[in-house]
Formats: sequence, structure tokens, C-alpha cells
Amino acid sequence: MKRYELIVIGAGPAGLSAAIEAAKSGMEVIVFDENSRPGGQLFKQIHKFFGSKEHRAKVRGFKIGEELLEEAKKVKVKVVLSATVMGIFREKEITVMIDGEVNHFKADKIIVATGASENMVTFKGWTLPGVIGAGAAQTMMNLHGLRPGKKVLMLGSGNVGLVVSYQLKQAGCDVVAIIDAAPKIGGYGVHAAKVARLGVPFYLSNTIIEAQGEDCVNGVVIGEVDNKWNIIPGTEKHFDVDTICLAVGLSPMSQLLKAAGCDMEDSPKKGGLVPICDEYGETSIEGIFAAGDVSSIEEASSAMIEGRMAGAAAAKCAGYVEENSFIKRYHELEEALGQLRQGMFGPRSKGKDLKYTDEGIELSTSLLKNGYIDESEITNFPGVTINAKGIHPVIECTQNIPCNPCQDACINHCIKIGCNITSLPIVDENVKCTGCGMCVASCSGQAIFLVNETYEQGYATVTIPYEFLPLPKAGDMGIGLDRSGAEVCEVQVLEVRSAKPMDHTNLLTMKVPVDMAMKARFIKMKGAS
Amino acid sequence: MSKIIDRSIDIGEFIPAPDDDIIICRCEEITKGEIRKAVHDGMYTMTEIKRYLRAGMGLCQGQTCGKLIKGIIAKELGVASKEIDSGTSRSPVRPVEMKVYGNEVENGGDKYE
Amino acid sequence: MNGVIDMRIEEHPILEKIEKGKLVSFELDGKVMSGYEDEPIAVALRAAGVMAHRHTSKYDKPRGIFCAIGRCTDCVMVVDGKPNVRTCVTPLKEGMKVQTQYGVSAKK
Repeated sequence: MKRYELIVIGAGPAGLSAAIEAAKSGMEVIVFDENSRPGGQLFKQIHKFFGSKEHRAKVRGFKIGEELLEEAKKVKVKVVLSATVMGIFREKEITVMIDGEVNHFKADKIIVATGASENMVTFKGWTLPGVIGAGAAQTMMNLHGLRPGKKVLMLGSGNVGLVVSYQLKQAGCDVVAIIDAAPKIGGYGVHAAKVARLGVPFYLSNTIIEAQGEDCVNGVVIGEVDNKWNIIPGTEKHFDVDTICLAVGLSPMSQLLKAAGCDMEDSPKKGGLVPICDEYGETSIEGIFAAGDVSSIEEASSAMIEGRMAGAAAAKCAGYVEENSFIKRYHELEEALGQLRQGMFGPRSKGKDLKYTDEGIELSTSLLKNGYIDESEITNFPGVTINAKGIHPVIECTQNIPCNPCQDACINHCIKIGCNITSLPIVDENVKCTGCGMCVASCSGQAIFLVNETYEQGYATVTIPYEFLPLPKAGDMGIGLDRSGAEVCEVQVLEVRSAKPMDHTNLLTMKVPVDMAMKARFIKMKGAS
Repeated sequence: MSKIIDRSIDIGEFIPAPDDDIIICRCEEITKGEIRKAVHDGMYTMTEIKRYLRAGMGLCQGQTCGKLIKGIIAKELGVASKEIDSGTSRSPVRPVEMKVYGNEVENGGDKYE
Repeated sequence: MNGVIDMRIEEHPILEKIEKGKLVSFELDGKVMSGYEDEPIAVALRAAGVMAHRHTSKYDKPRGIFCAIGRCTDCVMVVDGKPNVRTCVTPLKEGMKVQTQYGVSAKK
């Protein structure tokens, strides 16, 4: 029976990161993944990631996936695809189904990084064709170039629901609404704002009553719920849709670990049944580790760091890394992971009803309920400057999330966040802005705009990030939309800039009436539906 | 250690609900009402519900309906979902065709050097 | 062909052009269809506007793509005579004979 020093189960962000870390220390590593493509959920992610440079902020998910695969190849990690691990047995023997055959392998150490699966929510008609998981929508659009449908209702306002809704719009689908039974939006405010300014409405405290149709979905009825989850009569609303997307959370796929005999705990906070692990990711069975979503539902950025921790720990246990170097490496990773876990959406803040940012600024309730900041609130935030002279950045970043690519984007260093990456960005008004737009393109939340109130008599310019096709041209006329997606003025496109370092985030500069400078935040082209 | 639900507690009569006809186990087409009724028939665990109704024994082997069934049992018993044991996990953790399951190869692993 | 242009993304603002294999033809319930080689059968069907892949045994209800990653088994069809084939993870090949599954076979 073939023996490996390390077997990693799952070639997603955690699994690949673990394999790379262990291989770099000299271990012989093989990774098995049941899918025909590696990278787990990474290749479906077309948005730019958050965090800091070491967390690969500003890089699109699928690019991170490509980078991980390159790295794995360089350090000679073997990745076997379409290989389904069926069980972990005594003395770390595993059975793997490949090409219709059952193979046995033995390992010195095993790292389980099998990720998570989507949760279900039921309603009348949920089994009709046309009701799909949010992950399914991503798979169809981003892996296969297929629109899941023409008119979509999104159920779930966590980051997945928000991000996939935006991706649906990018793919040319119509998102009729995002609904959530919770009273406030669960995901990042900036993700919600991106979709809100496109005109997608949010219906919170709403649930799906019925998916209609005979052979497939042709409509949906939603209704408001009271605090006992009962539908309030008279609040029913109907939408014509052909697709309903479910984005209601993830649960760890930890069956392998349970079957292996690891001590498990049912932790609603972590997403479900998870193995009980120490700080390095080792389970109750010596030599079996867990990393990524399988140990606790978080983000891909956290999964990658956890993977590296487990990889380093496995290498140390196998004798490839000596104690002191390992402790040093562990603390580096722990620090990086800690940074990601801070802020409003971190595990420590989960469930808390926060009212203020760390800086003491009142959080926008409009953002949490409607998906957009109210104009009256916008100037409370340090990134928003209203300058009478010339072009300047306006950073509508209003929640403490671990993210700082904007800080490095400005060559004149006009944007400051500081060593705590969850701090709200501050714009230094004494620094002259060159209008290069790098900050606009670097913001993963697309929350930075360039505004020039003194462009010409009666007119201002607003430069927005634009990631849609067809790309408008200079001279095109359009309609300016405000943060809620409402049409507010006529605008003219002055310039559209695209540059390789901006990685498909085009900079669209539009001429707006001067009183719209702090209002207009998106554009609907004339002739578009 | 999973908690054993006290079977001497009276959980009351089965009261029909308007959403009893919603399908929970998509593969075997088991409805919410059938699961709820089964709890009142004395099936308090995932394993018992599975064997009584075949819920979770279809083509996907419970990958879709598992958490839903857990929630329904918990609600019927008046406890939190995490008090209900998820049922045994055993190999194979993914559905495998019988002809593949029986097709074990010796030293097949050498192919993957 | 109806629906093919509508549902397929010609050019994507981030991904540009998504690589596809060569155009091949296959059969759905005897009708000639086309799709791209090696893309999941389910993708080719969806692009052609096909929503119901099968009808359930007990209540004869239509089912189609749900998870799209080979886990829920709702998208299964009879492919080249073999039932319960997960069309969302099975690559399309030239000349494949795909049939709507009723219960566990192709017979209504």
C-alpha cells in the first residue's frame, strides 16, 4: 500500500495552503479532491478579496486559486482530482474512489480540509426546477459561462447572497430583489452598497411564501414576518422570476472526521458539527488535523492561513521543522489570522448589535436595513471629504472590516488606515490628489469615488468603479443613479479608463450637475433596459 | 457525548400544520408532516427517522436534507437542534456505486506517484 | 437556436471569454441538440432552455439543477442508457443520448 507522509483531503484554499506549507518544509504531500477542478470555491469568486497585502487583498478569488496551484506545482505537491475519499480508518489508512476503483493509501499525517456545503431552507415549491443554491449560480456563471436565469430573486443577505447578486448583474441577469428573514443585512455594507446602487431593492424581515410554476419557476411570492416568523397578512408581494437563489449559510462537511472517531462538537457559532481541535488544528486523534471551513465557517482568507498552520504543525510533528522555527511561524500566522478576525463581522462581534464603529461614529442603520448609506450620514465618516478645490477621493467606507489596499494605492499617501487594518480610512486633505484613480480601482468594496466639485461652472465630475459590459465610451449620455439606485440626474460620460493594474475595474468619469456631486454614485446608460 | 432524549416525556399530540406537505427529503420525497408524525410515533433520533421513513437514504444519502430533518425533530421534541445527534457517520461518506465499492485494487496507489 | 445566445455569456466583464470546447451535437429524448464538448451536460441543457431533467417516482414532480456540484442528485438523467447520471458533473461528448428520467428509468 502506498504510504505518504502527508495526505491532504480537499484541494480548496485550506487544503492547498496546507499542502504547500508542509511541502516547503520537506514533506512528501499528496492532495485528493473529489471535484474535477481544484481550488474549491476559489475559482467561482470573481470579486477582489479583502484583508491586507499578505492576505492577498485586491486579488480576485480565481487568481488566488491560480497562484496557489502554481505554488503547489513548484513545491512538487501531487494533486489528484476526481478522487473521492470515502473513509479514514485505523492507523491513518484511507480509501479513495478514483476512476471506478477503490484505492487504499496510508499516511503519517492527515489534514482534512473538506470545506462546507450549502444550507437549505424550505418553502412551498422549493423543489421546482429554477430554485438553485447560490453556489450553483456561481458555478454556472463563472465556471461555465452560463446565465442561471433571466430574472432572479436572492434569498439571503450575507456576503454570499450579496456577492452572488452582484455577479448575477455582471453576468447580465436581472436581480429583482434580495430578501432576508433577518431584520438587517448580514454581509458587509460595501457589498450591499455595490448592489443597492444598481437599483436592486432589499426586503428585510421577509421570507419566501411560495415559488410558483408547474414545470419550473415562473414567479415567487414573498411576505413580511413578525418576530415569531409568522407571515403578516397583507404584506404579500409577487415577483416574476425564473430563478430563485438560496444563500442561507454553510455547514461544515465533517463526516470524515466524525467517522474517523475524532471528538466532535455541535457548534452553531462555527456552523454545525465540527471537530474539537487545538490551536494548531490538530483533532483529538494525534496526527489528524482539520483546516478551513470544515473546522469553522469563515472566509477563504482565513482558510488559507489555517491551512498553513495545520501544514506547519504536521511538518513539525513529522520532525521536519524544529520547535523554535515552528513557534515563530505559528505566531506569524496567528497574527495574520487575528487581523482577519477583528472588526464588526469577526467571530467576537457575532450576534452583537453594534451601534458605533470603533472610532465612535454612529453606524448607518440605513446601510443595514436598505443596503445604502443615507446622504445625511455620509459626511460623518473620515474618508468622506468635501473639498472646494479640485479632484479628491471620497471614501464611503463606514464599517470596521479588516481591509487596507486603499492605503497603499495612493502614490502620494493621502489615504491612511494605520496598523490596525480594521480602522476606517482617513483622507489627508493636505495631500494633493492627482486623480489617477488607483484608489478607486484598488478598493475591493468599490467604495471609493473621485469627486471634483470645481470641474466647470455648475458641473462636477464623479469617477466611479465600473465592472460591467458593454463599456460606455466618452461622450455617451446616461442617467445618474444615487446610492439607492434611484435616477437623479442626466450625466455625460467624459472618460472611461482601463488599465492592467486595475484588473478589470474600469474608471468611469461622468459629468454631473454640481449639486449631484455627493449624490450620483452609478450610471445607467441610455438605451439600457 | 450526545444527549439521550428522555423518552418518558410527553411531547403531546401530533397537531397538523399547514406546511406539512412540504418535501424535506428530496430524493425519497418525504414530507415535513411525515417526519413530524414519525417523531410522535416514537422516532426521536436521526437514525430512527432514517430507518422508519427512508428519509436520508436516497440517492444523495442525506447530504441535502440532513440538517433540515434534525431541525424538525428538535422542534417537535422542544429542544435545540444541537441536542439531536447527527446520526452515525461511516465510510463511504459519499454515495458509491456497488460495482465500484467492490472494485478494490491492490497497489492501485502506485499510479499516483 | 432558441435560448442558446440568451443564456450563454458571450463576454464577461471580469472573466472575458470563458473557454469552451468544440461544438458537438447530442440527443435529448430523440431531439438533436448542441452544446460544447466537455462542459457539463446540464449546462448544455440549461443553455437550450431545458429546465426539468427528471420526474420523481412518488409524486411525478419535475426536478432540475439544484446544487450544480454533483451532490444533491436532482439533475440526474438517463445518459447512454445508464440512469442516475449526475448531469451537472458529467462532461458532454459528441453523440451522447440523454433522456429525461422518470423515477429510475427513461420510460414514462
